[in-house]
Amino acid sequence: MIEIEALTKTYGGRPVVDGVTARFARGTLTAIVGSSGSGKTTLLRMINRLVEPSAGRVLIDGKDVARIPEVSLRQGIGYVIQGYGLFPHWTAARNIGVVPTLLGWPRSRIKARTQELLHMLQLDPAEIGPRYPHQLSGGQAQRIGVARALAARPEVLLMDEPFGALDPLIRRQAQRDLTRIRRQLGTTVVLVTHDMNEALYLGDAIAVMRDGRFEQFGPPEDIVRAPATPFVADLVGETGRALRLLALKPVGTLLRAGQAQGDPVDAAASLSDALAEMIWTGRDRLPVVDGRGQGLGIVTRDDILAAGRQAPPA
Amino acid sequence: MTALRWIVLVGMTGALVLFPALFEPVLRPFAPAGGPVIYDRATLAGLTASHLMLVMLAMVPSTLIALALAILVTRPAGAEFLPTARMLANIGQTFPPVAVLALSVPLLGFGTRPTVLALFLYGLLPIFENALAGLRGVPGSVLLSARAVGMTPRQMLVQVEMPLALPLILEGIRISVVIALSTATIGSTVAARSLGEVIIAGLTSNNPAFVIQGGVLTGCIAVLVYDVFGLLILAARRPAATARIRSRG
Repeated sequence: MIEIEALTKTYGGRPVVDGVTARFARGTLTAIVGSSGSGKTTLLRMINRLVEPSAGRVLIDGKDVARIPEVSLRQGIGYVIQGYGLFPHWTAARNIGVVPTLLGWPRSRIKARTQELLHMLQLDPAEIGPRYPHQLSGGQAQRIGVARALAARPEVLLMDEPFGALDPLIRRQAQRDLTRIRRQLGTTVVLVTHDMNEALYLGDAIAVMRDGRFEQFGPPEDIVRAPATPFVADLVGETGRALRLLALKPVGTLLRAGQAQGDPVDAAASLSDALAEMIWTGRDRLPVVDGRGQGLGIVTRDDILAAGRQAPPA
Repeated sequence: MTALRWIVLVGMTGALVLFPALFEPVLRPFAPAGGPVIYDRATLAGLTASHLMLVMLAMVPSTLIALALAILVTRPAGAEFLPTARMLANIGQTFPPVAVLALSVPLLGFGTRPTVLALFLYGLLPIFENALAGLRGVPGSVLLSARAVGMTPRQMLVQVEMPLALPLILEGIRISVVIALSTATIGSTVAARSLGEVIIAGLTSNNPAFVIQGGVLTGCIAVLVYDVFGLLILAARRPAATARIRSRG
């Protein structure tokens, strides 16, 4: 768990991060959304002390990071940046192995770990491992950057616009990879992005940042359903909010007992996908199955429409 | 093509050093009637050796100090010394070596020492400026990554910055060494043993054959050394070269 307490950074008297207090739960992905200059990158860098706070503190699992020596703190935290910053004079494999090497792991263990990570990211170790960064495609370089960050099994992974340099198709794939890896490893991730869609897609929690403060911090649903400020509403977009809301929730959350005709829908699919299927095939209820095709029940149109309705004013 | 160039260059230099008599027919027309054609007051091999020694004695400390300065001023703590370091290196370069010789002879005496001093000072600037450019050329994202993975400042310097700056550093050393190889000839005006001795002998005895002999040999050695550095730079550049261009773009 990462706790941020009244964290502040000022440059020349001007606060860039202004007294932010927040808590990022273990194993979750928190997406910090904001435009450039909002202070989101500075906030991120105070977690691994690439930037030293002017005031306030950061605790990881209850330990004040200011008390951990910089070098060992950073070796224990994965960090991925937009340009990946791969070491151009080292092969992909050596790039991935950099933290284990700094930690003094034996060579054989580093090699095994590097191979394991390349496999996990669906890259062929024999083919990609010996390549230099300039011989990698954008998507491959991005995955090497992620592998390098994960090499020493960090509990915390910080990502600064990690998909910003990828074209849309590859970005989608990289986002799916991240979701899969995160589920596999249980790493706590803090991700900085300017893209609200990316945040909604990836985040368990979303912090909208502006002028060094969190304008709103909460689950994606709250952000879409009840934007706290006009700025947040603006980022989310005024139109299509109901559909966005439905895109956030899986079918499994509205499961009912019953029978329905036609092609089934996967319980992990989003409610918006289920609704689209209903519109397309003219049905008002769909059978729901689990990943193995086992029938679980049904989902109804009325339930979906209700889930997408604006919350009554509190 | 390049192989041929190497063969010609090495052959020519070797022949000039070891078998100067071979060139007598070529140089004969330049010598005064009845005068000597081939310099024989000392062996060219011996002069070449002490010429190279002069250059080495100057270039090793010049490289070490210029590199140390470049590293110092690219550290956060040393940034404020940049103007001072630049000025030092610039003075070394702008002060003519002949003037250094003239001024230092009263202090250091004749011979090797003032020559080495002059070459040393003259060599600082190219090495310093190139090393500076090399160290500063390391992409910001790479430096950020190096910090973020938990490298100490020393590890960053040794494992990341120096290897990436190496091609440019070698480029600087190459420039300085080649300049020093030709400039070392003037050391013979203050009685340092160098190939300049042959040239000066030619000038004082009105014998262009000597001047050509000393000049061509010095030139050949300089070109040879230039090419050797070219190979080193190529080797240093191989894995990283195109990558750096890309990551800057």
